[in-house]
This record gives sequence, C-alpha cells and structure tokens, in this order.
Amino acid sequence: MLVGLAAWLLLAPARANAQAGPPSGHEDAAFDFMNLLSRNGLHDIDHETWNVYGQLTYISSWKRPFKAPYTNTDVNANVSAGTYSLLPTAERSFTGTFSLFFGLKLWRGGEAYFVPELIAERPLSGLHGIGGAIQNFELQKTGSATPQLYRARLFLRQTFGLGGEHVVKSSDPLQLGTVVDSRRLVLTAGNFTILDVFDRNSVTGDPRQTFLNMAFMTHAAYDFTSDARGYSWGGTAELYWDDWALRYGRITPPQNPNQLATDFRLWEHYGDQMELEHDHSLFGRPGAVRLLGYRNRVITGRFDEAIAAFQANPAENAADCTGFNYGSQNSSAPDLCWVRRPNVKLGIGINLEQYLATDVGVFLRAMVSDGKTEVDAYNPADRSVSFGAVAKGSLWRRPFDVAGLGFGMSWISAIHAKYLAMGGVDGFIGDGYLRQAAEGVVDGFYSVNLLKAVWLAGDYQFLWNPGFNADRGPVHIFGARIHAEF
Amino acid sequence: MPNSSWHRASTVAAVLLAAILSPSRAQAQQQAQGFAVERFYPSAAGAGWFVMDALDMQGDLGGAMALTLGYARNPLRIADGSQNLSVVSDEASADFGFAVTYRRFRLSLNMDMPLVITGNSGTLGGYSFKSPSVNPGTDPDTLADYRVGFDARILGQSDGPFRLGASAQLVIPNGRRGDYDTDDTFRGMVRALFAGDVGHFAYAGQLGVHLRPLDDSPTPGSPRGSELLFGAAGGAKLPVGRGADWAVVVGPEVYGATALRSFFSSSDTALEGLLSGRLEGTRVNRAQLRFKLGAGAGINRQFGAPEWRVVVGIEMFNRNQRPTLLGSQVDVTNP
Repeated sequence: MLVGLAAWLLLAPARANAQAGPPSGHEDAAFDFMNLLSRNGLHDIDHETWNVYGQLTYISSWKRPFKAPYTNTDVNANVSAGTYSLLPTAERSFTGTFSLFFGLKLWRGGEAYFVPELIAERPLSGLHGIGGAIQNFELQKTGSATPQLYRARLFLRQTFGLGGEHVVKSSDPLQLGTVVDSRRLVLTAGNFTILDVFDRNSVTGDPRQTFLNMAFMTHAAYDFTSDARGYSWGGTAELYWDDWALRYGRITPPQNPNQLATDFRLWEHYGDQMELEHDHSLFGRPGAVRLLGYRNRVITGRFDEAIAAFQANPAENAADCTGFNYGSQNSSAPDLCWVRRPNVKLGIGINLEQYLATDVGVFLRAMVSDGKTEVDAYNPADRSVSFGAVAKGSLWRRPFDVAGLGFGMSWISAIHAKYLAMGGVDGFIGDGYLRQAAEGVVDGFYSVNLLKAVWLAGDYQFLWNPGFNADRGPVHIFGARIHAEF
Repeated sequence: MPNSSWHRASTVAAVLLAAILSPSRAQAQQQAQGFAVERFYPSAAGAGWFVMDALDMQGDLGGAMALTLGYARNPLRIADGSQNLSVVSDEASADFGFAVTYRRFRLSLNMDMPLVITGNSGTLGGYSFKSPSVNPGTDPDTLADYRVGFDARILGQSDGPFRLGASAQLVIPNGRRGDYDTDDTFRGMVRALFAGDVGHFAYAGQLGVHLRPLDDSPTPGSPRGSELLFGAAGGAKLPVGRGADWAVVVGPEVYGATALRSFFSSSDTALEGLLSGRLEGTRVNRAQLRFKLGAGAGINRQFGAPEWRVVVGIEMFNRNQRPTLLGSQVDVTNP
C-alpha cells in the first residue's frame, strides 16, 4: 500500500502552480500579517524595510509498546531521566513552539534578523534510545514541559550584488522582500542555525510543514556543531553565480557534547562546512544538486580510545567518570569521559531535489561521516540516507494541503557499535548491549489546510532497530500536528 | 603535666563545641533566592525617552523597533553596617523593543536579553547569597522576563503642551531567579503617564504601581512586594539639519521605585538619574531613526539602583499621517 501511495504521489499529474513544501507566493497563497498589510496598501511587501512573521506548532506523538529483551536503566536518574534506552512501554510525547521572526533592513544590502522562540516539550524516554530517526524534529531543541523563552536567532546579513539577472526574493520569515542579483556574495554573521544556510531542500522544505521525523530535516549523519538547541554563533559566506552557489561557514561547538554552553574559541574549536550547489532544470522541471562536506574540530572522545582506556584500566569506567558524562552508572562499561580532547570529525554528503511535476517533488540525501568520535551536537548516526516524495494537494483540489512519504536509514561504524555493545553511552543512545543493525524509519503524513493559515496533520512512523539495535523494536509511532503561520 | 592535660582537654572541648555549634549556625543561614534586580525598564519602542514615554503616537497604523544596550555597575550591593557585598556587581543587557501604534494607542513588546550578570557570593545578615552567573558561553541564548504593554494617550495632541496617558504592562517570567533576572512570577505595571512639548522644552513623567507578588523580606536588598513607580524627564528639544528634519533632545531623566509597605524608606527605595541625549528624525510618513545615549548614577543606591549606568539605543519608527507602515525607505540622507 505504501509503495502504491508513493507511486501515485510520484506519478500523479500536476494541476496547480504552487510548489510542494512551505507556503509560497504570498500574493495568492497563505494568509499572514505582512500580506494583509500589503493588500491594504499599508506595506510595500516587494521592497521591505522590515517584516514580522510568526508561527505556532504543537506536535503530539504516541508510541505503542514494543518488544525489547533488555532496557538500559543503569543511569543516574538526576542526569538522564532514568533510562538510556527507548522505553518499551507506551509513551506520549509533545512539543509546542511559538516563534516570532523580526527582520529589519539596515542599509543597502544589509539586513538584521531577530527570532525569539518559546518551547515546551516532553520527549519519549527522556530523548534516549533512538539514533538518527527521532520521531519529532523539534526535540532537537532542549526544553522542558514548562514553556521557556530563548533567543533562537540574532544575525546580520549583507548582500553584495555582482551583476547578472534580477532575482526576486519574496517576503518570508528570515527574508525581507527585495530584488537581488543572480550573481552575489552573501555574508551572514551572528547567531543562527547552520541549516538556515546549508543543506536546504525545497521539497522537504520547512519541517514544520512536512515530515515530523528528524531523519528528514537534514542528513542524520550531519553532526553540525551547535548548542543543545541546534543554534550556533559564527559566520557564513555564500557566492551565488547564476545556477551555481558555493558556501562556506564556520560555527561554534558546545563546550561539552550536546550541551547548551557554547565554546566561543572559534580559532581553536569549530565546525567548518562547505557546500557546492547547482540548480538545474530536468525535462522542464526544477531541481538541485548539493554536495556538502563538514569538518569539526571539537572536544569529543574517540570510541577506540575509550575502549582502550577501559581495557587498560577498568577503573576508567562509566560509573567513575571525573569529567562530563551522560550519567551512566555502569562500572563495567567504557566511557568517553576519559578520552575527550580536541578531535576531528569529517563527513561528506549529497542532497538532491527534483520536481517531477509542478506540485510533486522527490528528494534524496546521503552522507558518510568517519564514525570515529562521539556525537557532538546532532545525533549519533555515522552514515545516513533518506529519500521520499512530497506533494501539494492541488492534485486533489486542495492546493494548501501537503502529503509526503519518506524513507530513512542510518548506520554506525564498527568501532561505534563495539563501544555501545560494551555498555557505553553515546549522547542519546546506549542500551547496555547491542546487536548492531541499521536503524530505519518510514514516515508518512497528510497535512490539511484550514483558512490558509492553519494546518492539521496526521503522521505515522514505523521505526525499526531503534538505537541501531536489532534486539529492540520495531516501534509504531503515531503523531498529530497543528501548525499556524501568521 | 597537669597544665598540658588541661590544655588538651580544653582544646578537645573547644573543637567539640565548635563542631556542635557550627551546623546549627549553618542551618540558621538562609539562602537568598534571587529576583529581578533590574530597575531600568526601557520605554516602549518609539516612545522617545529611555524610561519615560513621550506619548506622541499619531496617525494611522505605524510601528517601531528598538534596541537598547546597557551596563550597570553594582545594581545590587547590600550592607549590614559592618560589611558590604556586591551580590550583582556587573550587569550588561540588550533590550529588544517592538511596537505597533494606531492613532492614540500603542501595543508593545520588550524582550530583555541578559549578556552578562556577575557578582559575588557571601553571607550577610544571616543570609547566604550566591553570585549570579550569566555569560554568553554558558547561556548562549538567554532571554529574561519580557513585557507586553498597552499605552493610550487620553488627553492632548501628539505634539501638544500637555498629554496625559495610561499604560498597562504585563511582565511574563522567564529566566532563573538565581541569576537575578526574574522573580519567576507574573508581574504587572499600571501607570499614569504625562508628557508635553512647550516651545523648545520637552518633558515626560510617570506615576504608577508595580504589582509585584514577590516579597522576600527580610532578605537584605530583596523585593518587598508591590511598589510605587515614579519618574520625570525634561530637556531642551532643538531642531537640526536642513529643514529641521532632525531634532536633538538633551535632558535628565529621574526615576525610581519604592516598596508600598515601607513607603520611601531609604533601604527600600531606588532612585536613579540619567542624563540622556537623543538625535531623532522628525519627518512624517517616512521611516525615521533615533539614536540615544545616556549615562547616570544611583541617587539612592538601594533596592536595585546601580552605582552608575550607561545606555545606548537605536530605534526605527515612523510618524504616520497617511496609511503607510514604516514607509518604504529609511531616511538617512539629511542628518
């Protein structure tokens, strides 16, 4: 049935002009405050000096009980919510986010953006036990059930025109309505998520509109440095030359893996990324190819060194850590806390998008990381692939509805698996034992639009080998989302 | 050696006595929990002064954005007669302000982003104080309490000699009490506002109540519940530039708060003065800029008034007389 649905999504004829993914075309599409002002002659939406947008998203997930012969609860409950495995019992999880996007034109080509965001969340099993396919992408942002406001973004963007054709940039969150050159240099500096600039994909688009599973937000193996909410400080440079784009960025890592405290010594510890993009047209339909490479130099531990340290001296175990660790109380397991030092992590990936019809797009991401060191900021996957299709509802006369079906898999390296099998913990996973396998997920959703500003979505995810462990699962996760833009 | 034995016995007794008494003394000390120490509440974006409100809303739909950066030295320094403790010695913050205006009315949002809050730990008056610790490294995305406000001009024209208004603000808690950036409770401010322009003289003032549930008395320096808010500002307003497209306003702002339950007692009253100057665009129907600079000191350095303070601000705003919102272009051509 899933294959049939995918084939229908891919092959069904297109009948409308809107593209898949987030709302497009403000003049005739989604409702929002800026569009309302513009329609009433109160705002020049094509040449903006400012804009303000907002969004509200609530996601609820329910996990059915599943089969698991063992569960790792040998952790300090004060540190790690009492488990390092995905609990085999039924659980509910939620996230709620509210964001405001302020944009201001400063001078010719200069723009400033400020985004405060409110989050409340309760993850499944304390956000433990799933590797590259965490069921809700919002859970990458640390929070608690009590709403907390924080500054998500604060950055400057400077665009230098270098000629070529005129390109219209429509008014959107984090984008003032303006016209730029097709050949231009764009510099960004401040506090943002690297995914604002790198690894964009117009088919998967804004995850608040499409797949719930984190496997489809970016490469699962893209361990981009950031704080525990996914945001970083740093700078990027983008050179656009008609259909080509070349990007480079250097951003801050956390002081300790997956923590909020940020290491600002950008000359010493950093995440570098470079991306080459080419936009093309295939059979008259737009598409893009992106090659992304990253190199992190951050304070992390190598799996082989942690194992060697434990084997040489069993006192260097997880329970007796003297430095930062994740709360493991397992005295017979190695731990990365003993071997953390500046290490390099490398990864390279490809990102494809292609529209098959005006309203139907397909995507594919694949990445390989070296798998020698622990997760620093994103998730523990060392290799990942994801692909799928997204279609807008114009095919069935509901042009603002969105539907999608995606498939994602991720793997860990042999030394990573050995470390976990010995009882080690790596960021979000560590079942105490491991029978190595690829973790996979199928995610299907349908999002119904109401009043052009609100989307109600139902989502189903089938997850197998959670935490890269063939002994556990599979898991059925049902989700619902309400999303509003204004 | 009887003397030696007696000496040893007395030493043991003293140690035992100290051991017995020490825990009880430690138990008698209470841990101060912290609170929102800041007394500088930036006015709504586009309101002119740093703290006071010019009440010059006019025209159809308009708006403003503002950024105010400030540093305060020793905003919480407590004493018990024999010793002093700067619980909060350095406080730097950025306040982001946004406002929408329509005729006489303004809806505003102010978000305070602490940059650095540091101080000293210690014990004083039977209370144990732990220094706050906010810095960009450990708190890379911190926002503290935020304020949603509604202001209305009730009497007077936007450029008249006397304007009377009312203001209500809701302070929504965010942050950590231990970092002295929140009370961790909702608060409210209800104020009567007045302002005016008489020739080249501009003035503004406020009188109101800060509805503050937190009462940590007798913790030294802590809130004592609801407070009276007061303040006034005045200065010369001089046109500059070709066509008087810009104006400079220079003058003092004095403001403070006192706990209602110990009305204007020295220890529970904060009073602060700020000499401020601003350069602002005066044209209508175009986006205008306002640059602000202020420096001042605590006049009564209690209850959150700092030893000294410096603030800078930049605003983008408009005065609409026809229906455009912030115009289409920032006017920086006629400084």
